[in-house]
Amino acid sequence: MADKSVIAMKKKQWIDLQHEKLDAEAVVRFLQTPRAGGIDIFLGTTRQWTDGRETIHLAYECYPSMALKEMQRLADEACERWPVEKVCLLHRLGVVEVSEASVIIGVATPHRVDAFAACRFLIDTLKRQVPIWKREVFADGSTEWVEGDAMPWTK
Amino acid sequence: MTQEVLLFSVLRQRLGTPRITIAVQEGISGADLLDQLSEQYPALAPYRSMIRLAVNQEYVSETITLSGSDEIALITPVSGG
Repeated sequence: MADKSVIAMKKKQWIDLQHEKLDAEAVVRFLQTPRAGGIDIFLGTTRQWTDGRETIHLAYECYPSMALKEMQRLADEACERWPVEKVCLLHRLGVVEVSEASVIIGVATPHRVDAFAACRFLIDTLKRQVPIWKREVFADGSTEWVEGDAMPWTK
Repeated sequence: MTQEVLLFSVLRQRLGTPRITIAVQEGISGADLLDQLSEQYPALAPYRSMIRLAVNQEYVSETITLSGSDEIALITPVSGG
């Protein structure tokens, strides 16, 4: 069976959920293309201190079928709004230790202004729309589900 | 009809299960389903106002009409990334 990353190289979009550590170098290799003059990559990482509380790790779970569907929708929207040559959205599941990446977003565009804008759009919208949840485990033994930023909902 | 509803995150933890079922009328609205779920499962009630309904892996308005073959999930505020 062909290596997953080899298959991904040939496509325009690489979107996935995985339990393994995220590989930023593999993402860079995927995004490199002669048609791009700028590659913007964002990594979301586990921060140790928040408002005086020490985090031991974050644990992520998701609604897999819908998470992938929403990530695909975001990638498609980015490709419509900006001249995206390559786009990558990878989110990790399970425990993510301090300083490790839970998410990698990357885009390659002909000019950097679009790379910055598309990458920003993707991470900001992922954090509001994609059905992934994190549970924070603190040094004092307490845990809590992080509520995050949901989009305002009009009924 | 018997409707199965998927739970995640804090709802899954509070109810102790990744899925619950409820007997409802065919063609019920999303809003009525959420109301009836909150009655049958009181642990859901505090979250009622912050739940977004997902049908067949897409966010929908609560005005939607549900059918027995839909995959339904309750989505509390997300926190990816």
